[in-house]
Amino acid sequence: MTAVAAKPRAAERLRTFKRKHPVFRLVVVRLLIGVLTLWLVSVVIFAATQALPGNAAYAVLGRSATPARLHAYEVQLHLNRPVIDQYGSWIGGVLHGRFGTSLANGESVSALIGPRLVNSAVLVALSGVISVLVAVILGILTAAKRDTWFDHTASALALAVIALPEFVVAIALVILFAVLVLHALPAVSQIPPGGYPWQYPNELILPVATLVIVIGPYAFRITRGAMIDALESDHVEMARLKGLSSRRVLFVHAFPSAIPPVIQVVGLSLLYLAGGIVVVEYVFNYPGVGAALVDAVSNRDIPTIQFLVLALATFYVVVNIGTDVIALLASPRRRAPQ
Amino acid sequence: MDTSVTRRELIGHAARGSIAVAGAGSLLSACGSGSGSTPATTTTNVKARRGGTLTVGLTGGSSSDTLDPNKLTTNPDFGRTAALYDGMVWAQADGQPALRVAEEMSPLNKDASRWAIRLRKGVRFHDGREATADDLIYSTKRCLKPTPGVSASVLTGLRLNELRKLDKHTVELTFDHPYTTFVAAIGGTSNIYLLPEDFDPKHPIGTGPFKFESFTPGQRSVFTRWDEYWNQFEPYVDQLVLLDYSDETSQINALLSGQVDAVNQLSADVLATVTGGGKKVLISPGGGYNPFTMRVDQAPFTDVRVRRAFQLMVNRPKMLEVVFAGHGVIGNDIFGIWDPEYDHSLPQRVQDIEQAKHLLKAAGHENMTIELVTGDIAQGVIQMAQLFVQHAAQAGVTVHLNQITPTEYFGPNYLKWTFAQDFWYAAPYLAQVPLSSLPNSPYNETHFNNPRFNKLFAEANATTDKTKQTEIVHAMQTIQYDEGGFILPFFAPVIDGFSPQVQGMVPSKTGSSFNMWSFQQLSLSA
Repeated sequence: MTAVAAKPRAAERLRTFKRKHPVFRLVVVRLLIGVLTLWLVSVVIFAATQALPGNAAYAVLGRSATPARLHAYEVQLHLNRPVIDQYGSWIGGVLHGRFGTSLANGESVSALIGPRLVNSAVLVALSGVISVLVAVILGILTAAKRDTWFDHTASALALAVIALPEFVVAIALVILFAVLVLHALPAVSQIPPGGYPWQYPNELILPVATLVIVIGPYAFRITRGAMIDALESDHVEMARLKGLSSRRVLFVHAFPSAIPPVIQVVGLSLLYLAGGIVVVEYVFNYPGVGAALVDAVSNRDIPTIQFLVLALATFYVVVNIGTDVIALLASPRRRAPQ
Repeated sequence: MDTSVTRRELIGHAARGSIAVAGAGSLLSACGSGSGSTPATTTTNVKARRGGTLTVGLTGGSSSDTLDPNKLTTNPDFGRTAALYDGMVWAQADGQPALRVAEEMSPLNKDASRWAIRLRKGVRFHDGREATADDLIYSTKRCLKPTPGVSASVLTGLRLNELRKLDKHTVELTFDHPYTTFVAAIGGTSNIYLLPEDFDPKHPIGTGPFKFESFTPGQRSVFTRWDEYWNQFEPYVDQLVLLDYSDETSQINALLSGQVDAVNQLSADVLATVTGGGKKVLISPGGGYNPFTMRVDQAPFTDVRVRRAFQLMVNRPKMLEVVFAGHGVIGNDIFGIWDPEYDHSLPQRVQDIEQAKHLLKAAGHENMTIELVTGDIAQGVIQMAQLFVQHAAQAGVTVHLNQITPTEYFGPNYLKWTFAQDFWYAAPYLAQVPLSSLPNSPYNETHFNNPRFNKLFAEANATTDKTKQTEIVHAMQTIQYDEGGFILPFFAPVIDGFSPQVQGMVPSKTGSSFNMWSFQQLSLSA
């Protein structure tokens, strides 16, 4: 067999493989695009930070920055090298798994920010899981019992709460439970460095409650809508006509059709949370990435900024891929070989 | 969200030698008399209860927090420094310095270009070693080498290779200029902190009232009582925890819910919230100030009539009322209000719109427009700027506010703006002057350079006669009053919040929280 003839055979096999495994293909392509996106993000953020007035030496020395101290500090932080050089050495380190040292305090970025990433991740995960559970359960129940007082009350409450900004919800909870009305919960989440959030469940209650209140109602409304659509579809009517119990109709026949829009909402909520926790972290002084990022930008602490932005970008990419994959898996028709 | 994430407050402290006063019920040990030596005072409450953990919530910190006393820039940095290390002198509640770890500081020659510092005996570092003159020489050198530290500006002219050990505890310092105000100049952040010769900022050891336990930049630092502190009564608490807060709201919430015992630097707006929640506030007369700065070397402020017009546009009592609910002291465009040498006889400036308009017209700048650069660099600064816009409008002047972040504020353009603001903490007059009002000052916002003024300052530094010095200071203040570039509407109060269990909080004229970060004076009742 000549090499030329072998090539079409291999290409043919690849095409068949792609056809038969659309999920795998999706993941591979999206991962490649994801990596490209991350690299582009790192370049853009680096350029943006350079464009800001001042640099880390100014930021750290603050008002006491005399020219002599500034120069000494800039040399120490390697800020006097050409910009391309600085970026090059940073990306070189990253490819070897080293994220550099913070320009603000000389500590290793991964050692300092790693725990804060974990803290925020716990907040996002807990809030995501709880709000999805609450939203889905409420969504199914209100769709099943449409137009009852239960449905009307839940929907009205949801609509009212959706309009509230995050910090209003956060402060209202603090006033109610920590400071004025009751003194049951801590107003501020003091998780000490070195501790893990799950070791301090009390400190998590109010921040998580805030986030659940913020994203829950939207997810609930979408689920309810999707369930109502599903309950009115032909195949559910068929199932009812076949005489199946209403519970079976609800969970086995209706709910699976509602999954794709719910997955979309879950994905959107998680993505919103990634940015939205900044406000909540501020109000509760929660040691997470929101405050760390704002602080790093103020300090022009480029390695820390890059680390955080890349972590967030990776989260976005993974969640996007994840929701698309799950949506694909949940729709057997789209998955079938063409 | 407010932008106070990097609120950096360099305390430009300086204190001058004079009689120091201690609070009631305290232990006094004053020594020395005459113009050459500095009295020592310790305020100690022998009845205070020992034990407990004092948790303090501080704003102003960030991930650039440090334990290195030569690099301190923010309030939390200063709190840490005051806990771990001793300075040679330290400002007391009346704003004047007293000897701290130095037993004596006196000039050795007539023009005070040579000084001797003698350490107390038996002062121990946190690892048990005794502090000696060698450590003091090292500590002094470290302020300047290898990189100039925070204290470098008050140690210019110090001949490093002529630092001499006179005996086991005494060091001689030689400057190449007369320096009668040396004690005043090192009374605050620009201090000489006593460090061991093998000092390592990652494992910090000092002689201060608290030992290092742990530190996470931007979050918290923990210290434990140093049982062999040279003051046999202080500190009282077993453990000191300093927490970083991003803004006032979470700080106050933490105080109200009992998660912290004390908080620093509150605004006047929250007084009712704090006291309504069962906590207390301490409003200190302060002595710090946030001036408007006009560059006297740039149009339109080259014309003194324009400067005077701007100074006359401000309604000072109204501004103080709005920004600090009336707490504080009205200012007269010169600094150093609590300094005994401050000239109170200079006529107090009040708002005079007619005169302001008249002066502007005479200077050819009627109905002018100008940009004012402002930022959240200290409590109340932006509000002052906003009020200034209103007051100026009454005189026909249009002021455009350019609000920027603190990082940008102290970036490359700092000290270059024509019309801007700044913040300063309390300092006696002659210690403040070299920081802001001489041609080679590190923070000369107004680019002030008056030859007669400069000459007077050199004279003041060459005389140890207090009466003569006061006369010189009055002359200098008159020059600044007449020709300076500051609009100083008031001296700001310092407002700290604390729970009723915290004892030992005293009103302070140092311009810093907790009586200049003196945690060793605080105790917790049962």
